[in-house]
Amino acid sequence: MSQYGENPFYGNAGGGGYLAGGSPFGSASGSPGGLRKAGALHSLRPVTIKQLLNATQAHSDAEWSIDEVEVGQITVVAQVVSITSQTTNCVYWLDDGTGRIEARHWVDVGTEDDAERWGGITENTYIRVMGSLKSFGNKRYINATHLRRIKDPNEIQFHILETFTVYMIFQKGAPLRPSEAGSRAAVANGNGAASAYNPQSTAAGGMEQYAHLPSIQRRIVAFMMSQPQQTEGTHVAAIARNIGGDANAISEALDRLMDEGHVFTTIDDSHFALST
Amino acid sequence: MAEHISPRVNAARLGEFIGRTVRLTCKVVRSQGETAIVQAPDGGELSVRVARDVSLAVPYIEIIGTVVDAATVKMLACIDLGDELDMDLVNDAVELWHDPRFANII
Repeated sequence: MSQYGENPFYGNAGGGGYLAGGSPFGSASGSPGGLRKAGALHSLRPVTIKQLLNATQAHSDAEWSIDEVEVGQITVVAQVVSITSQTTNCVYWLDDGTGRIEARHWVDVGTEDDAERWGGITENTYIRVMGSLKSFGNKRYINATHLRRIKDPNEIQFHILETFTVYMIFQKGAPLRPSEAGSRAAVANGNGAASAYNPQSTAAGGMEQYAHLPSIQRRIVAFMMSQPQQTEGTHVAAIARNIGGDANAISEALDRLMDEGHVFTTIDDSHFALST
Repeated sequence: MAEHISPRVNAARLGEFIGRTVRLTCKVVRSQGETAIVQAPDGGELSVRVARDVSLAVPYIEIIGTVVDAATVKMLACIDLGDELDMDLVNDAVELWHDPRFANII
């Protein structure tokens, strides 16, 4: 079973799904098995309609699974083929190139939401739908909690790529940052996913998050990353020997790094460790 | 549901789907009555038999149609995409669509 039933970024997007397009997700932490079940219900997964049509359900009240992974909320970007408006609900027939499915949106009679919801959506336009997979008898449909017209057409391609990425992550795990050593990576990814200084880490080089720093700070960080990881971190003399240059410049760079929160002192003022 | 699958294509891949329905995101180069010349995401030019009463108002459109031959599509429906679209991104998505790793979800 995949340990990525809960993706920490999407874990924050449940219930009502106001996250249009989903957030960039970093390396997902392996969550403890106990959290996974509850987490899945609050997750939001980008999918293709074919994935929804192929999803499986243990019995009629069980959660849906796609490729053995439980799904909570889902989001699709698809073309509206037809709209059927009834008194209590609105049925959109969606086609995204991989298949067709119904999306039902229940409208409250008399609320102002209605005009906004199905006023902006017409046939032969692309929309983004967020909701959950349901079935009525043998027929599957999306119980849509949120629908909106796609304004920027690049979002269609974005959704395709995001769907593929999430599919790969569930199969193979999150992309690792190559410069990270084994056990440290597991800890780092777990903290990094929630860290404020680490918003987008996908594949390519653990140095991305430091890319905005001046060169000397980056070199210090790179050197510290390359050291065998000990609790007391790296001694400032080792850093100075390796980086060279002016001791004051190094000291100032370390201070800047500390202010930003990238490093911290350990056993004394001369030992620095990288925060993750 | 196999009849509702419309693969995304570009000019190079069009020949693989002769007789089938495909989805082509493209840029309108020239529109002359019942025929239009469009540029596919990979840059190739194709000709499109436009459905009657359809006027191509915006430069970027998505055409759902049947493939007549490797350079011609007969339009069944058309979706307006607007004035700006990153065609390299579109082409990347098209190429990945056909990547065997994703055959299960496409």
